[in-house]
Amino acid sequence: MTLKSIGLMAGIALAAMSMAVPAMAQTVIKVWSIDGANAPGIADTLSKEFNEKNTDIQIDYRIVPFDDLVNEALRAFATGQAPDIISLDNPDFALFSSRGAFLDITERAAASDVIDTSVYYEGPLNSVSWDGKLFGLPKYTDTIALFYNKDLFAKAGIAEAPKTWSELVDTAAKLTDPASNTYGITFSARAGEEGTFQYLPWIQMAGGNYDNVNVPGAVEAIDDWKAMIDAKSASQDVLSLGQWDSTGTFNSGNAAMAISGPWELNRMSTDAKFDWGVALLPTQTEGGARSSALGGFNWGIFASTKHPDEAFKVLEYYISQDERMFPEFSSIPARSDIALPETGVPLKDAALKVFQEQLQYAQPRGPHPEWQKISKAIYDAMQQVLTGQVPAQQALDQAQATIKGITG
Amino acid sequence: MTRPYVPWLLLGLALALAAVYLFPLYWMYVTSLKTGSEIFANPPTFWPMAPDPSIYPAVWTRRTMGTFMWNSVLIASGVTAITVVLGTGCAYVLARYRSAWIDFGLFLILMLQVLPASVMITPLFVGFNQIGLLNYPRTAVVLAAAAKAMPFFVVLVRATFMSVPRELEEAALVDGNSRVGAFFSIVLPLARNGILVCAILTFMSAFGEYIYSKSIIQDTSLQPASVGLSGFLGPNSTDWNSIMAYSAIYVTPILAVFVLLQRRIVSGLTSGALK
Amino acid sequence: MSRFFNSMRDGVGFDLILVGAAMLFLLALAGLPLVYNVLMSFQQVDMFTLGSLIRPFAGFTNYVAVVAQPEFWLVTKNTLIFVFASMAGQFVIGFALAIFFAQNFPGASTIRGLFLVSWVMPGLVVGALWSSILAGDFGVLNFLLRSVGLIEGTIFWKSDPNFALWAVVIANIWLGLAFNMLLLSVGLAAIPRDLYEAAELDGANAFQRFWTITLPMMRSTIGAVMSLGLIGTLQQFDLFPALTEGGPANTSTVAGYWAWQMSFQLYDFAKGATISVMMFVLVLFASVVYVRSTRHEVRG
Repeated sequence: MTLKSIGLMAGIALAAMSMAVPAMAQTVIKVWSIDGANAPGIADTLSKEFNEKNTDIQIDYRIVPFDDLVNEALRAFATGQAPDIISLDNPDFALFSSRGAFLDITERAAASDVIDTSVYYEGPLNSVSWDGKLFGLPKYTDTIALFYNKDLFAKAGIAEAPKTWSELVDTAAKLTDPASNTYGITFSARAGEEGTFQYLPWIQMAGGNYDNVNVPGAVEAIDDWKAMIDAKSASQDVLSLGQWDSTGTFNSGNAAMAISGPWELNRMSTDAKFDWGVALLPTQTEGGARSSALGGFNWGIFASTKHPDEAFKVLEYYISQDERMFPEFSSIPARSDIALPETGVPLKDAALKVFQEQLQYAQPRGPHPEWQKISKAIYDAMQQVLTGQVPAQQALDQAQATIKGITG
Repeated sequence: MTRPYVPWLLLGLALALAAVYLFPLYWMYVTSLKTGSEIFANPPTFWPMAPDPSIYPAVWTRRTMGTFMWNSVLIASGVTAITVVLGTGCAYVLARYRSAWIDFGLFLILMLQVLPASVMITPLFVGFNQIGLLNYPRTAVVLAAAAKAMPFFVVLVRATFMSVPRELEEAALVDGNSRVGAFFSIVLPLARNGILVCAILTFMSAFGEYIYSKSIIQDTSLQPASVGLSGFLGPNSTDWNSIMAYSAIYVTPILAVFVLLQRRIVSGLTSGALK
Repeated sequence: MSRFFNSMRDGVGFDLILVGAAMLFLLALAGLPLVYNVLMSFQQVDMFTLGSLIRPFAGFTNYVAVVAQPEFWLVTKNTLIFVFASMAGQFVIGFALAIFFAQNFPGASTIRGLFLVSWVMPGLVVGALWSSILAGDFGVLNFLLRSVGLIEGTIFWKSDPNFALWAVVIANIWLGLAFNMLLLSVGLAAIPRDLYEAAELDGANAFQRFWTITLPMMRSTIGAVMSLGLIGTLQQFDLFPALTEGGPANTSTVAGYWAWQMSFQLYDFAKGATISVMMFVLVLFASVVYVRSTRHEVRG
């Protein structure tokens, strides 16, 4: 007897058991997301409110830890246990959409009164599209820019944030003060997605992209990073610190600049005991091409759902609440038609304006079904250079060869 | 050892070693009382600038830790029960004979523990799904984790059984006891200490079970404390002081029990040798 | 039939039931997953076939692909260093502590008990703790080393390719010390005192007594500690994501973490299974060593 036929018998037995229970009038839609583990988040709050409206659809909401989200989804999908709706980090989305694991909602979205795909920023919309079809909708978005400590800038006699890469290297050197345990800058060059997230924009500013990483500017960028670490303008621990911990050293005054995103704003507003501001990421040359990383999550409906119409209604409900995204959950909606209200904290409001401008240059990672392998090739090369094991050109050439093998 | 000061020197050295060894534990408690950015301060502070113990009740209620802890206790108890019931008999037999088959059995038991839990979880998930066990997630975790704990238990308890003099069992058999009778009335009581201690150790390590629970148990109200801890690790945030406060709450009760029992644990294992 | 019941109560049948129950349980919950992994390493696997057993046969292509990965030899080297250094550290320090606490001084067994706390600490917590202790700039270990003058600058434990693997080794030694010390203490206590007294009368010094009595008498204990230690070290996982994520540039990636990374970060399940099967070979070797070491045991 094969496992399959045992499963079939178990299935029949279960079906027989469920027949004995009176049929439920409500359709249950299972939703997975990372929201709500600590504080109330988007998906858990909205799902609760949706259920309180007592329609004939009920949401069964589950929190999945961030690190396990994709694995859990893959395993559940393979065993027929997938939820109806899931919210995924944007670079992971193509893993599912490219193989038809998500429901094609192109026509449903076009017919919907709630959804208008033309209002979304281009980057986020690209990350939910595959092969010209729409497989989901952006949930919220974020990006990275340059935080700087205005007090330390004033002390060093520097008027404004650096605008080009070479200015950044110089400024970082000037701001470095070993006597007071202050580095000029901190960022994250970690062996993981965060490392790629921070380095890829620099490759893009130099005219490259994830499938073209060995452009001359990419070599220059990573050599600049290495120069900052070698000059001790940046801690060598940028190689193992995540963005959150890296920016923690900025908040405690141990780094004068930090590259990170809007998710830092709440903590920084309370923890940072100095005047700070945000600037756009410096460009390769004065007035050069801009780019930044595109973060944020997307919604998708699994193709295996038994209730596509009801699941789409739930999705429409989530999207209809996008205006509350920023005031209630401090996340930036991925669409241009929603103005962010003032928070009343001047530093934060000024920072948000910069982030919104930076978002216009944000480019998605991929989309590619094997993004994670591409990403590893990029962060491996980045780390080989930063630790001085391999020269930049050689490391990026090797990464390019690996990526070529993946993208074909 | 006639010099009277030597034991006190040894005691001093022992205390110093223990202080070094237990430093990470101290660091856990101190970090939990620091603010978010003080954790990244350079130089580090050895005592928080403004200790804030209110984080403990806050974390407890915010993360509904009562439920998590209860589930951890349930799962660890289940794992221990299965391991003791199945493992004790197995260890006894493996200690009783010397043959190539016994060697093979030991070999097999060790080999079956080789794959890390992170690699075992996919096949187990698929298998549990086929037989419908995923609907009883805590039971499923107990079964999976017991299989992981078993080899360790068997190897340790086997050593205990080996130190039970065989003559005692044979004498009981001569007196007309059955094998079953001799096992329960003579051998088990003699090995009781060792089994008890191994059971406690099994319980303690099962209390931290993480990989199986996080994948198999989807309902938050059924998850153990280890899974609750991972909720603090977000994509762009790591709430270090909450993590440390949660960890402190998580390990303190078991540390307390452990410190109370540790003399018996150590002497139980060592005197199990019956020499 | 009654002979069957009799043998259950009085003969080999009783033994077979005891061993059989445990073995069946283990075969079902550990053996089948093992077979599944071996099977998967010879197949093409994707998200649609993750749940079934019948998948396209791939021959040895997964093995060839794993060996062809640029980091393969680095990972192999790291794995060997990690395993040997961790085991040696745990064993030597554990043995030293076991002997130390076997001396007769006030509070010996109480303080020895305190050393067992790392046993009860969940891996996740230990990882988070050591990550903070080993941090480069704000890490407390560097601060302490600087304060006592052992180092001048800052050691970037987690970010320097020369130290990253050792950072994990240090944390892992701390974690595994309790286990080694406990088992070795048990073994020490089982050695009859009179052996030592006789040797002392014969004029053997402490070092000779250790070589001629302690080590030979503890042969089986050492075998058990070593093989369980090897398995525990190979299974060590929690410390890697918490400390280095295998970086910088894979210099702290070991086989177990690599297998996990393949399967659960890069979603290449076949290669992940292949690496885990390769790890198996290593442990096969260890188990042979253990079983051979127990062959010479004498029942007490």
